[in-house]
Amino acid sequence: MYPDIVMEHFMHPRNVGKIKNPTSVGEFENEARAKAVFYVVVEDGVVTDIKYQVAGCPFAIAVCSLISEYAKTKRVEELKVFSMDDVKRFFEIPEDKEDCIKLSINAFLNAIIPLT
Amino acid sequence: MRVYLDNATSTKVDDKVLEAMIPFFREYYALPSSQFAHSYGIEVNDRINEAREFIATKLGASSPEEIVFTSGGTEANNFVIKGIAYANIERGKHIIVSSIEHLSIIESARKLQKEGFEVTYLPVDSEGLVDLSILEKSIRDDTVLVSIQVGNHETGTIQNLNAIGNIVKGKGVLFHTDAAIAWPYINLAPSNYGIDLMTISPHKFHGPKGIGILYIKRGTKITKFIDGGFNEFNLRAGSENTPGIIGARKAIETFSEDDVKKIKRLKELLMENIRKDIPDVELNGSEDNALPHILNYTFKYVEGEAISLRLDFEGIAVTTGSACYSRNLQASYILLAMGKTHEESHGSIRFSFSRFNTEEEILYTASKLKEIVEDLRRLSPLGKE
Repeated sequence: MYPDIVMEHFMHPRNVGKIKNPTSVGEFENEARAKAVFYVVVEDGVVTDIKYQVAGCPFAIAVCSLISEYAKTKRVEELKVFSMDDVKRFFEIPEDKEDCIKLSINAFLNAIIPLT
Repeated sequence: MRVYLDNATSTKVDDKVLEAMIPFFREYYALPSSQFAHSYGIEVNDRINEAREFIATKLGASSPEEIVFTSGGTEANNFVIKGIAYANIERGKHIIVSSIEHLSIIESARKLQKEGFEVTYLPVDSEGLVDLSILEKSIRDDTVLVSIQVGNHETGTIQNLNAIGNIVKGKGVLFHTDAAIAWPYINLAPSNYGIDLMTISPHKFHGPKGIGILYIKRGTKITKFIDGGFNEFNLRAGSENTPGIIGARKAIETFSEDDVKKIKRLKELLMENIRKDIPDVELNGSEDNALPHILNYTFKYVEGEAISLRLDFEGIAVTTGSACYSRNLQASYILLAMGKTHEESHGSIRFSFSRFNTEEEILYTASKLKEIVEDLRRLSPLGKE
C-alpha cells in the first residue's frame, strides 16, 4: 500500500524544522485540517536551504521530505511549475491520496511562487 | 513484539472454537435442512438445534425459533431495517435510527429513503449519547421501527437502553438494537429492555467470520430477506453455515465475565499511561459509560494515519478516524456527529482489546505511542505558538 520511497521518507523525513530568517514562507491547510509549512532561503534565484513542518498523513510527510531534497540547489524559475507529475516520477500515486500530496505541493508552491 | 489492538474490527478465533468447527467440515457436512432426506442431515440438524437452543437460553429468548442465523452482522442489520420496513408498510413508512449507527444500518436506511420511506437520524451529544427527549418527540403514529445500538464501535459509548426501551415500547413501536460490537461484553438479555430484534456478531468475540445471529422476538412481522428455500423458519434462504453456527455457539460458551474484567484492566492501564505520559490528548466518548474493550483518543497536532503507520512499524495494530485515512477526505462520521471538529478527528486513534492481549503488550504500546506522538509533534506546525 505504501511505496518503498514513501515509507523511507515517512520513517526518516529529511530537512525537518523551521528556518529563522527565510526568504519566503508558504503554508497550506486542507479541509481535513492537515497543514504543511515550507521555509526557503533563496540566493541569486537558487534555493540554498529548505525546511518544512507538516501535520499530515504518511504521504503528506513523505512528499514534503522528497520536495525538500529535490528543491535544494534548484532554480526558483524551474521549481515554480512543480506539480503532481513531478511527484509521479518518484512513485505511483494512489487515487485516495491525491489530496494529501497536494497539501505538500501547495505549501511548497506558496513559498516559491511569490519569489518569481 | 506484535500487538493486535484492532479487536473491534475482528478477533482471533479461539482454539476451542476452531476445534468445535472442524468436524462440521469433515464428518457433519450434510445440511440440517436435509433432515427429512437422510440420517446425515438428521445428525447435523440435531447439533444445529442444540446450538440454537443454547444461544436462545443464553439470550433469555422464549424459544429457539427466536434465533435466526445470517451471514454476519451486516446482513442481520440489512434484514432488520429493510425487512421490518417492508413488512409493516400498512402501519407506516417512518423509521428512526441514531446518526452513529454502523454503516450497514445507515446505508440500509438511506436506501429505504430512495424508495419513499422517511428516516429520522437522531443526533447525539458530545459523548455520543442519543438525546432521549428528541427520540421521544421523533416517534410518530407512522413510525414502525427504532434502531439504536447498544454501544458504539468507534468510541465505545454505551446508550441508555433501559430508558430507550421504555420510550420506544411505550409508544408501541418495534425496537432493534445492534449489539454487534457490544455483546457479550455487555451481557444483556433483549427481553429485559423491550428489545424486539438484536444483532450479534460472533467474530467480534473469538468466533468465526461469516456468521451472524439475529434475535427476532416471536410474533414480529418481518419480510423474508433472502429468497430461495425454507431455511431459518422461512426467513432467510440459503445453505446453513453449519461450522459457523457451531463456532458461534462455542465462542459464546467460552466467553466469560473474567474476560471482561481482564480487558477492562488492560484498557485502564493504557488510559493511565496515556494520561501520565502524553500531553494534549482528548478522550473520544464517555469515560464511565463505555464498552470495556474500546478506547478512542485524539492526539492533538498530529494525524492519525501517521500514528497508526508508525505503530504498525513497531508491530502494533490500531485504527484511526482521520479524514486522510478515508477515501473522501471526510473524518469519521461518528466523531463528527458527536460534535468533534475535523481538527479533533484528525489525530484520533481507536485501541480495541481482547482476552488475548497482555499487560506487557499494553505497556509496550504505551511506550511506543509516547515516542511516536512526540516525534510527529516535532514535525508538526500546529500547537506550539
